[in-house]
Amino acid sequence: MNRWLTRARRASKAGGAAGVLLGGLTIILPNCYGAQVDDCRVLQHHGKQAQAQKCFASLTGSPDPFDRAMGYWGLHRYDQANEQFRAAYQGSRNQARTRTEWGLLFLERFNAGEAVNLFNDALEADPKYAPAYLGLARASAKTFDEKAVGFAKEAISRDPKLYAAYELLAFLALEDGNTEEAMKQAQQALSISSEALDAMSILASIDWLNDKPNSEWIDRILKVNPVYGEAYATGAHFFVINRRYEEGIDYYGKALALNPNLWDARSELGLNLLRVGQVARAKTELEQSYQGGYRNAETVNSLRVIDSLKNYQTIPVSRGVLVLNSKEAKLLQPYVAAELEKSVAIYERKYHMKLPGPVRLEVYPNHEDFIVRTLGLPGQGGLLGVTFGLVVAMDSPSAQAPGQLNWATTIRHEVNHVYVLTATHHRVPRWFAEGLAVHEESATEPEWGHRLTPDVVDAIRHKRLLPVMELERGFVRPHYPSQVVVSYYQAGKLCDYIAQKWGDAALLGMIQSFAAKKPTAAVLDENIHQSPESFDKGFISWLDQQTAKTIEHFDEWKKGMDAAHTALAAGKKDEAVRLASGVRDLYPEYVQGGSAYELLAGVYVDQGKKAEALANLELYRERGGRNVGSLRKLADLEKETGKPDKALDTLRKVNWIYPEDVEVHQKLGELEFQHGDAKAAIQEFQSVLFLQPSDTAQSHYDLARALFAAQRADEARDEVLLSLEAAPDFKPAQQLLLKLSK
Amino acid sequence: MRALALVLWMAGLAHAASYFAIVSGLGGEPEYEGQFKRWATDLEQALKANGPDCHIETLAGAAATRQNILEMLNRVAGQTRSDDSFALILIGHGTYDGTDYKFNVPGRDVTASDLASALNHIAGQRQLVVDATSASGAVLPVLAKADRIVVTATKSGTEKNATIFARYWIDALRNPAADSDKNGTISALEAFRYAEAKTAEYFKSEKLIATEHAMLSDTGSKEGVRDPKPENGQGMRAAAFALVRPPSQAKASNQGTQNLLTKKEELEAAIDKLKYQKAAMPPDEYKRQLSALLLQLARTQAEIDQ
Repeated sequence: MNRWLTRARRASKAGGAAGVLLGGLTIILPNCYGAQVDDCRVLQHHGKQAQAQKCFASLTGSPDPFDRAMGYWGLHRYDQANEQFRAAYQGSRNQARTRTEWGLLFLERFNAGEAVNLFNDALEADPKYAPAYLGLARASAKTFDEKAVGFAKEAISRDPKLYAAYELLAFLALEDGNTEEAMKQAQQALSISSEALDAMSILASIDWLNDKPNSEWIDRILKVNPVYGEAYATGAHFFVINRRYEEGIDYYGKALALNPNLWDARSELGLNLLRVGQVARAKTELEQSYQGGYRNAETVNSLRVIDSLKNYQTIPVSRGVLVLNSKEAKLLQPYVAAELEKSVAIYERKYHMKLPGPVRLEVYPNHEDFIVRTLGLPGQGGLLGVTFGLVVAMDSPSAQAPGQLNWATTIRHEVNHVYVLTATHHRVPRWFAEGLAVHEESATEPEWGHRLTPDVVDAIRHKRLLPVMELERGFVRPHYPSQVVVSYYQAGKLCDYIAQKWGDAALLGMIQSFAAKKPTAAVLDENIHQSPESFDKGFISWLDQQTAKTIEHFDEWKKGMDAAHTALAAGKKDEAVRLASGVRDLYPEYVQGGSAYELLAGVYVDQGKKAEALANLELYRERGGRNVGSLRKLADLEKETGKPDKALDTLRKVNWIYPEDVEVHQKLGELEFQHGDAKAAIQEFQSVLFLQPSDTAQSHYDLARALFAAQRADEARDEVLLSLEAAPDFKPAQQLLLKLSK
Repeated sequence: MRALALVLWMAGLAHAASYFAIVSGLGGEPEYEGQFKRWATDLEQALKANGPDCHIETLAGAAATRQNILEMLNRVAGQTRSDDSFALILIGHGTYDGTDYKFNVPGRDVTASDLASALNHIAGQRQLVVDATSASGAVLPVLAKADRIVVTATKSGTEKNATIFARYWIDALRNPAADSDKNGTISALEAFRYAEAKTAEYFKSEKLIATEHAMLSDTGSKEGVRDPKPENGQGMRAAAFALVRPPSQAKASNQGTQNLLTKKEELEAAIDKLKYQKAAMPPDEYKRQLSALLLQLARTQAEIDQ
């Protein structure tokens, strides 16, 4: 999390009355209350750290608990500061400021919830208190909540001279990729205070992002405060959220070179080193940060994850390096390695490029460990995988309930990021990177990719899809809860549209244009000769042709499905079939819980109508259904109805979703064996054993006969002995042992 | 894993009868009422595979009152001989108030003490109680006895959520995969291991916190274990308790076959003995001896089958 957002103390000092100008820095002092606090802060603002510390130390002897609180805070003695704020809270003087400052202390010390409560308390004491609004804005900005902008503007409306609010608006605009607005707001802050360090940091960051390392702004910053490492930390933050991790690491290093005590910057450095796979360095930085008292969730959890890496195996494979938890490494390795190899081969061929190094694929069986990798990044909702340069971190299928994650499509998606980020030197907007990755998922496997979920239907119905020029904020600062998901869908469809209308070459050209640092409008013009507006118009018309029926009949579909489920619950199966059949094709892409396909298949199975059940479940699979139970049922039906090849295909797809299912591997192994593919059967029967089945005798025997078929007699003999060790009288195994002993 | 003594003991019980009592208690809600009754029916069906020597009595729904349950147990006590086996399976909800376990039935509930005193009147060295209810772990201290196998769905009386253990216990009796030693018989130990593993797998795959942890005690220990094995001394008696077994094997038709059957038993006993010595042997030597014995056994079986 960016420290910038908690660095609010200078901004909140406006207390009322008289204002003075100190070297271009406007300090608005209250008549007497807290005046010395501001003196200390001025010293701090100018990087006079020793003097500032002395000043803060003197405050701790003040008879006023507020002054004492601010003094202890300045000395980083947070517990004592907290105690003094509590004492000040009991008093009657300037409660708005007391509560706001206390809130800022909480914000700095990783408790945004309590901070928000105090900012709201402050507004109860004084509804016009601008710094409290600014506090709320900073708290919202921490989680990329779009309310941050509204609160910052509210602060400005209460106090137009509160330049820190303009600085925050500049920061938020740059996070949204709106450079022009960011510059405008930063200049506005500078027009109020020529020493607005964070405004200058934003302007410097814009230069750095545009590959101008020698920004004039850093010179101006250092003239005001020669140890203002925060400026580089701000630049590092923007590199990171633009997925330029290596540069981010470099700039965090510069920040720490100026001020080694920027513990939050050190923590961020550690987090980003971890992201790019530099575990040892990451550990050192994070431990230093922790020892320095900076113990936020990201730091602590990252250290915990690093500690847990001892439980992981690093396995070199043909196209990368797998980092798998030891308890599931044997099971996952063959599947994950094969998919990684396949994905690399696809993109290598398609994008005519080779990666500069192996892909490091980390697979976490504990979702919380994976989430640590994404903390502080925008667009986190529902993330299952994330890419940092050549490093991909993702959930293991065991980290999610069956059906929640298709690990194979996650790899295909993330490896696409590896290629596109490499090809563009990380200069690619999120909408295109995500859109292309979603597009590529379904380009080779039609049932992959993002579906037209009810959230997306709702967004289309209410015209919430964003113009391409604004789509970035759909990922970074969502306006409604499902907007990140909707933005993934839209971005994927945008790339589908481009591929369909202008061909894959256009997408390839766009990668090259983004690599040449062209903005979205120029990229569209250069490759498909469209203005953003005409592109949006054409896309909406194209999407409408695909979705109009579902959009128009969504309510009818919903009503019909509700009635079908009600009828089913009442035991009226024929009625349920009639109702579900009547609406199923109004929304054919609906394959989530309670889909028409599953309802119909369930009833048809009960009624012995296998052909009808089969037909519905085949549609369910083709349209991306992921319910493991339903897909297993489909495979059984396919096998029972004399379609073993289709059953084989279905079970392979179940493996993409949930490779932890013993029965799936048993059935798949048997079908592969019958299909004559002993090698594939061996892999499946080995998977059964990795999952520690209850029937070990059968499982070792299955593996033995597949090994025997593959003419690996010695291994077959070992397995058959293991089978008979568990069950000495197991006749099929005895017979195989006799064969092997001839 | 079997112990030689128990194998021989089982062989000597070829003509003993098996008694099963199944009780399906109150569901409280229609969903549970239906589920418990269905499980009881399925269980009864699975046990019928044992043939005519197997006596099964089921109490479900309104009939499953305390009085009827205790009367049924008294009837069994009057019928069984010392070499017969008896199993009581309880399906439904149980409660534990910190002092008493109660099996929820229509009217007055049945306490663990009620069950203990009724079961103590049943003759026989082979007795199994499967309490598959919520809070069933609370019966272990009351029912555990040296000559009784006690299986509970939960580890203590504090695991109070409705359980699914019974579902997998019944599955075990119908699924050949539960027959881990492939001898055609599902023992109480095999059923326990299968159901325990499937229950754990269910919670794991659904990403749910496990609210039940099945336990087994067959030594009189009042604590029970989740993983019965020779190392903790649990499971020997359960391994010898047949829940479902195939129809009686045809007796040897001539002396030659009888000799082969005797040889087969000797080899099985030698394999069992060797397996108990595994930990103390060099791996290669163990493998060599095991291979030789298994090969002899396979050849003997092939001769028997000819």
